[in-house]
Parts: sequence; C-alpha cells; structure tokens
Amino acid sequence: MRPKHQPNDPSPPRDLRYGCGGSEHTVHRRLFLEGSFAAGAASLASFSGLFSIPAVAEETKRSGKKCILLWLCGAPSQFEMWDPKPGTETGGPFAAIKTNLPGVQVSSLMPKCATIMDKLAVVRSMSTKPSEHFQGIDALTRGDAPRPPFVRPILGSVVAEQLGQLDSPVPQFILLDPCPEGNEFKAFKAGNWAGWLGAQYGPVRAGGDYGIANLEKSAAISDLDHSDREALRSFFTKKFANDQRSEAADNYNAAYQRVKGLMSCAPLFDLNKLPVADRERYGGGAFAQHALQARHLIENGSTFVMVANGMPWDNHVFQHEMHQMLVPELDNVLFQLVSDLEDRGLLEETLVIAMGEFGRTPWLNEARGRDHYPKAWSMAMAGGGVKGGVVHGATDSQGYEVVDGKVDNRNLFATIFAALGIDPHQEYELPGLPTFHRVEEDAAPIKEVLL
Amino acid sequence: MFDWLVLKALFRPVLLRWECFRCCSSVRHLLCLIALLAGGSVLTHAPAVAAEPVAARSDLTATIDQAIRSAWQQQKIEPADRCSDPVFVRRVYLDLLGRVPTMEERDTFLANASADRRSKLVDQLLTSPEQAEHFADLFDAILLGRGNQGVYDQREKHGWKKYLVNAIAENRPWNDVAAEVLLARPEAPQQDGAVWFLYEKKDKYQEIAEAVAPAFFGIRIECAQCHDHMMVDEITQADYWGLVAFFNRGKNKMTPNGPRVVESAIGGFSEFADLTGSSSPNRLQFMGKGPLDEARPKAGDKQQDKDELYIKAAVKNDPRVPKFSRREQFVKQVLVEHPLLARAMVNRLWAIMMGRGLVHPYDEIDSMHPPSHPELLDALTQDFRESGFQMRRLVRALANSEAYQLQAIRPESVNDPQWFAWYLQRPLTAEQMARSLQVVLRGEASLNRTLLASLRTQVPDVLPDNVQVDVTEALFMTNGAQLEAMIQNSRQPQSLHQRTLRQSNHPSRAKWLVDAVLGRSADQAEIDAITAYLAERDDRLEQAIDQVIWSLVSSGEFRFNH
Repeated sequence: MRPKHQPNDPSPPRDLRYGCGGSEHTVHRRLFLEGSFAAGAASLASFSGLFSIPAVAEETKRSGKKCILLWLCGAPSQFEMWDPKPGTETGGPFAAIKTNLPGVQVSSLMPKCATIMDKLAVVRSMSTKPSEHFQGIDALTRGDAPRPPFVRPILGSVVAEQLGQLDSPVPQFILLDPCPEGNEFKAFKAGNWAGWLGAQYGPVRAGGDYGIANLEKSAAISDLDHSDREALRSFFTKKFANDQRSEAADNYNAAYQRVKGLMSCAPLFDLNKLPVADRERYGGGAFAQHALQARHLIENGSTFVMVANGMPWDNHVFQHEMHQMLVPELDNVLFQLVSDLEDRGLLEETLVIAMGEFGRTPWLNEARGRDHYPKAWSMAMAGGGVKGGVVHGATDSQGYEVVDGKVDNRNLFATIFAALGIDPHQEYELPGLPTFHRVEEDAAPIKEVLL
Repeated sequence: MFDWLVLKALFRPVLLRWECFRCCSSVRHLLCLIALLAGGSVLTHAPAVAAEPVAARSDLTATIDQAIRSAWQQQKIEPADRCSDPVFVRRVYLDLLGRVPTMEERDTFLANASADRRSKLVDQLLTSPEQAEHFADLFDAILLGRGNQGVYDQREKHGWKKYLVNAIAENRPWNDVAAEVLLARPEAPQQDGAVWFLYEKKDKYQEIAEAVAPAFFGIRIECAQCHDHMMVDEITQADYWGLVAFFNRGKNKMTPNGPRVVESAIGGFSEFADLTGSSSPNRLQFMGKGPLDEARPKAGDKQQDKDELYIKAAVKNDPRVPKFSRREQFVKQVLVEHPLLARAMVNRLWAIMMGRGLVHPYDEIDSMHPPSHPELLDALTQDFRESGFQMRRLVRALANSEAYQLQAIRPESVNDPQWFAWYLQRPLTAEQMARSLQVVLRGEASLNRTLLASLRTQVPDVLPDNVQVDVTEALFMTNGAQLEAMIQNSRQPQSLHQRTLRQSNHPSRAKWLVDAVLGRSADQAEIDAITAYLAERDDRLEQAIDQVIWSLVSSGEFRFNH
C-alpha cells in the first residue's frame, strides 16, 4: 500500500529557481521527474497509484512486455471464426478447414490463421454475463462490471501504468480508431478510460484521417521558452490541483505532460512513412493499416496499442455476408501481425489479443443475422507469455453451451495479466471503502494457455 | 415510402457500417436536451424578474436548501464550507454571463459590504443581455448540437440564435417556446428562427425524433430503434417510430418568408420490424400519449392528395396547412401537457447550474436512472409548471442556494457527487473560454470569432459527464496559431499586456498578472516563479510577459469553473 497522500511541494519548478539551463537533456530529465512526481502526488485526487508497485511488476518492466489488442467491437461470430460447426443447424454456410494443429479446425474464412495455429492460443469457452454492448464493452475492456462511483481502468491503462515507461516520449497507451462514431462504442469512448489510475494513463487517440494537429511549435518561440513556459503552466496547475483536490485539474495537467513527447515522435504517427510493401501486405482499410501502425508503435517503445474501427461486427442483419467481408480481413491482419512480430523477435514479449465483447447466437434471426450471445463464445491470443498451439475449452455440437473449460471475463483478464507478468489479484484498500482487486473474486488464470 | 421505412429498419445494422453509425448514442454529445425560446404566443409573456415577489423567490431557494440538507443529514455528510466572495464572483459570472468578471466588476462586488450582495449580484446578472447570449449558446449546443462554422453561420442567418436569445432575455415560458419550435409555423417574423430546429435536420425524420426526445422530454430513444429499449421498459420501439411518424410528413422548403417545413396531409404510414422480424404499424404515439386516432389506408391503397385536405396559411406566402396536421397533434396532444416537458427542463437547468442533474445523466430521465432527490425534483417541477415555465426563476433560486455557494473542494469524507456536498468543478465551454480570454486579455467582453471557431472544434462538450482532457486540446493550447495570435494581438493600452508592462518591477508584474487572470492574490511561491521567469528574460520582456500570460490562461485554474 502506498503511503497516504503527500501534498505536492508548491515551490516553483526547479529550473526556474536555479536559472534556465536549456539543453534537451535537462528538459527531458525535468519532464521525467515531473511525470513521476505527478503520478505519486495525484493519488489522493485521482486514486492514482492505488496499486503499490510490486516486485513482479518491476521485473516485467525490465523484461519489457507489450500488448496489442485488436478490438473487434460489435462482437464477431465464433461460428465463422474459431469454433465452426459445419453441417449443423447452427453452423452457417461456411466450411471448416484443417489447421496446422492436428484435429483442430477453424472457419474456412480464416485460411491464413489456419497455418499459424501453432502460435495461437484460442479460447472456445468464454461465457460471460452482459448481453448488451455497453455493458459488454465495459466487462471485456475493463475486466469487470462497474462499481460506481469508482471507474475501473481499461486494460490499456493498467498495462501502461504497470509496464509503461513514464519517461518515454512515445505514448504508452495508444488507441487507433479512425471512426469517431460507432453506436455504444462511441458513447463508451467518450467516457472515462483510465478510471482511478488518473488521466495520465488514458490513451492518446489517433488514427485514420485524424492526424494529430498542432504538433509543431511556432517558430517565433525558442525551444527554451517553449519548455519553460510549460513548466510554469504546470506549476500553477499542480498548485491549484493540490489546493482544490481537483481530479479534473490533474487530468488536465496529464494531457499537457504528453505534449512534449508527442511533438518529438510525430513521425511515428504518419502512416505514409511506413514501407509500401508492408502496407500492401496488411491490406487496404483502416483496420489493417492501423494494425501495421500498432506494430510500428510497439517496435518504437509504446506499451499498449488498441486497434479498433468503430463497431462493425454487430451483424444483426445479413450476418454471413458481413462476416464474409470482415473475417478474411481479420484473418490476414492477425496472420501478418503475428508473423511480423515473430520475424522481428518481438512475439515473445508482445501479447496480441483479438476479441470482441461477446459472441453471436447459434440461431439466425429473421433478418439472417446473429444476435448477441455472451453464453458461449471464442477469442484468440498469441505471444507475450501465452502458449501457442493451444485450444482451451469446448462448446457442444451446435455451440449452445460451453461443455468444457468454462471461463469468464475475470478468468480472461487474470490470464492476460499473468501472461504480462502483472499480479492479477493485487488488492488495494481505501478507508471506508470495500477492497478492490485488479481481478475480483480470485478468478484463476487459464493455466493451459500460459507459458 | 412504407417499404422503404421497413427496409431501413430491417437493414439498419448493415447500413450502420456504411452510414456512419447513427444508432444508439451518437447523439449523446450533440444534443442533450431542453430548451429554447421564442417569440410571442398564447401564454402570458412572463413578467420581468423584478416583478416577482421576494418571498416567492426565497421560498424556492429554501425548498432546495432543505432537501439538499436533509439528504446530507441522512447520508451523514459534512459538506464543504461556503465559498469566499472572490470565488463566488468569478463562479457566478461564468455560470450566468458565460465569462469571468472584469477586474472592475469584481472589485465593485467585493467592495459591497451589504449582507445580500450575492443575491443582488445574481439579480443584476440575470437581467443582463449577456446572460441571454450565454444561455442561448448553451441551449444551442444542447438542443441542436455542435457543428462546423457553416452550421453556426446558418443558425445565425436564419434567426435561430436570435430566437433563443430573445426567448431567454424575455424569460418566455418554456412550454410556449417548445410548442413554437416543434410546430414550426411562425405567426410573426420574430418567431421565424424557431423553424430552424426542424429545418436543420433536412427531412431526416429519425434524426428529428432522436433530437426531440432529449431536447423536450429529457430521454434518449436511440436504443429503441431496432427493438424495445433493453434496459428501460417504458421506452418502446413503437414510441420510437411513433415519434418519427409525427414528423415524417414534413418537407423543407425555402419560401419568400424564409425556411419553412411544409407538411403533407397524406402518407407517412409504414411498418417497423423488430429483431424477430414481426412488424407493427407506426401509430402516432409517444411516451404514454396516443396512439391518436388516424385512419390508416389499407395495404396497397394509394392515398390521393387533394386541396380539400388543407387550409390556407394564416401568413401570406407560407405553405398551406393540412387539416389534420401530425405536428400540430403532437404539440397539442403529446407535448404541452407532458409531465416530462417541465421535468426535463428543471433537470437541465439544475445540471447547468450545479454541474450534474438530479437525474444523471441529465438527458436520461427514465426508470434506469432514478433521481438523487426525488421529492425535490417533483417539487421543483411542480413549481416550474405553476409559475408558468419560467426558467429565470429557477436559475435564480439555484444561484442563491446553499449548495451552489459551497467551495469547490471535495470534503475528504465524501466521494459521491450526487449529494452536491461541494460545488462540482466544470470545464468552461468553448464560448466561456473565448469570452473569458477576451475579458482577461483585452478587458472587454466581445468575442474573437476566429478563436471561438477553433475552440468550438477543440472543446465541443457542454455539460460533459466527466472531464477527460484530451492531449489534442493541450496541443492546441500549446502550439495552435489562434491562441498565440490572440495573445500577441492584445496590445491595446488597456490590455493586460500593457498594464503589466507598466508595473514598476517584476514582483508587482507577477502580482498583477495572477490577480488579473485568476481573480485572486498571488502567493509568494507564484510571485517568485514569475519573477524568476521574467528576470531571466529582461532582454525580451514583452515576449516573456506574453509567455507568462500563456501559462496562466492555459492553467487548470483558468480552464475550470470552481
């Protein structure tokens, strides 16, 4: 447990008091100090640092694990992906094909992933509760249902906080999503992502046509003045945040703390700077291009990249036609991503996750769509502490029920944290409040898929 | 027409992928709910504020204070202390006029020693033309949503903005205004702007329905498009398509009198399909009212449009009016007597003044979102109806309430904002920022339009559920050309820059800057920091002063109302 809040020292920024030394090194050093300092000092207002940093996390920090989440929002169908039921009433029109794992088949819409099943861990026995998008997105991006008024941080925020490098100019948690819209996901995006960790662990959002604007400073101001006036601004705001116990002002400062780093790594966000051959290999479309960009960002020091694309998977109508377009795209993207990471020697340290917020019904509705089905669905992972060539769990012959190895969102999050070397059951307490755990109820990780 | 609507309902999820995902929730930021106002109609023009008996005023404030206090006692909450006068004056100028006070305005207030100086100031601000401008800005964003500059220009050009300003300035009854806006049949030129609410939706009937529900009823219905609302039993798919039907005979037309929404006497019958594929007729109904009687043509029958189905418009050059007008039926039979009309406005005004609604989120007044203080919401709603739907009366009572005048510092023992045990900090809107920058940098309250336009795209939120400052805003404030230009071009003799420069030494410049921008005295650490900053830059003092100004106007203390 972290010691109780220590009020921030309201003395002027160091460099101002001792004169303005101006080398880049000094500037970065100062940003680093301020960043770490803010994270600690903000704890009372934002509940930052609720988790003490355990030895295991320090260990992992050195080992440098990273994570890419391909967020399939809207919820894809397990039948047309990882758990085909060909020739049955519920199986749909697509065949199942062999994979390079003896005895394991996937949908014929996934020919490329079929060749790398020995690198993937597929869970076919996800069984969760929420059947509506908003609640489902909460459960599968935060790991649990909300406990108001405390907002559980989203997976990327936890990983950025636990494994990220505060002094890195590259944002540690990036959301690539070209689509500002997307039904419930849009509303979700507008919400509080970093939760009790505080906004400094929220994502930097980029993607698609939104380049990041205003990355260049005006030529009229020197580097030194540009940095020093920011130090002054930050000082005023910190003082205000402390005096007022203002979580909002802490959030505000956290956004400014990213400015310098972002300015220095602007080229990383320029899709056009990526090799044409790579771009063609991943394929057209924002989702594919952003998956490539995710690889690029991870290679360059980011810790968690979430690739989303609005909410295209919610196919209540013409499910097969829609999945016929969506699944092969995902098949190629996942194949390229896993293969690239392996070629670069990064797969062992980079966990790739592909999932949505639940599955789809075994039956078709009148509009030839599959509706929401949280009871029995599938997801896949690769790399970063997860064993390849594993299929965990099973559903019955028509996919109605999980018959073996049933797991839920808590088990999954415990697995993800364990794979990344983060203690899944870390607890923290605040006076007068119930105890929270990183994953509640001591839910066990799925041992079979862990290395 | 019918088939198209059915198809559309059926194909929605497919369309979503291409059509920009409009269904459940996209409207969240844009609209929100209530309010507006307009030109002269049936109910009394509300008497000016001054005419209202003092006793009635304090009664409403007492009602609020009692209810809030009794919840504190029940919850064993020790609220924050009462805020100081300097804090109050900044806060109330921002909340009522949409800007910080000038130094002169602030000093006038602080020099007033009378016991009722706060309520006197509230009265004074509530009758200022700036108050109407500010609330019109809020309601514009809340009712119609944000847009690009072209959208704002159109709203101005076609009188919508002016209509809002007048309605607020004249304290017009909200039910009259709501009726004018949704009937969209102006009887006098000063009502013309009311048409724009429907007209801006360009005959997209679902968009109209999805805007009307939060704006006038305080509910969100998007989730009921493809099925009955899954979480809120009382919002059904029949209500969704019923509300669409009330408006689906409209057609935009530019007339010599300006934009009008022509209404047809026929058509607009369709079926909607739920997820099981079973279909139902779109009857005229909404939230407990209806279905209204209306003859439905048999499937396959073609309706004939005939002159005798219409009457001539009362106003020359206006479109003819159907004898059975769905819009008129909606206004008369659904809207004006609907309990949610008053309740939604009360909750909206509460949210504007107190930082969150008694029902939260403020535009989801449904069975899934119970109010924090149910009796209080009932009492205020009743008062609102009985006092003639006057917004100003409630705003005044809120500004004078104990909870509004608490410090913005959360007591350590309280976590839940729903008890209003401290003043909930809130970010300034784009308009509040633009006006406040103008006041601080140039000592005048007019608007810098370039800066406002860019701020509106950077800071679109009005009444956000929570504060998530994005790095893009920090980048805009740090590197954006607009703020830089505004600071550098503020060099008039009475500008902050010049007044600072005229101070005799750095420490007095530091004190002056903090006082002028943040509205309070500087403490020693701040004086030291600014003094050191300026002293390092004696060779470029003018630039250095601008940089300190930048650091103050982009500080969290300036960015929030607290």
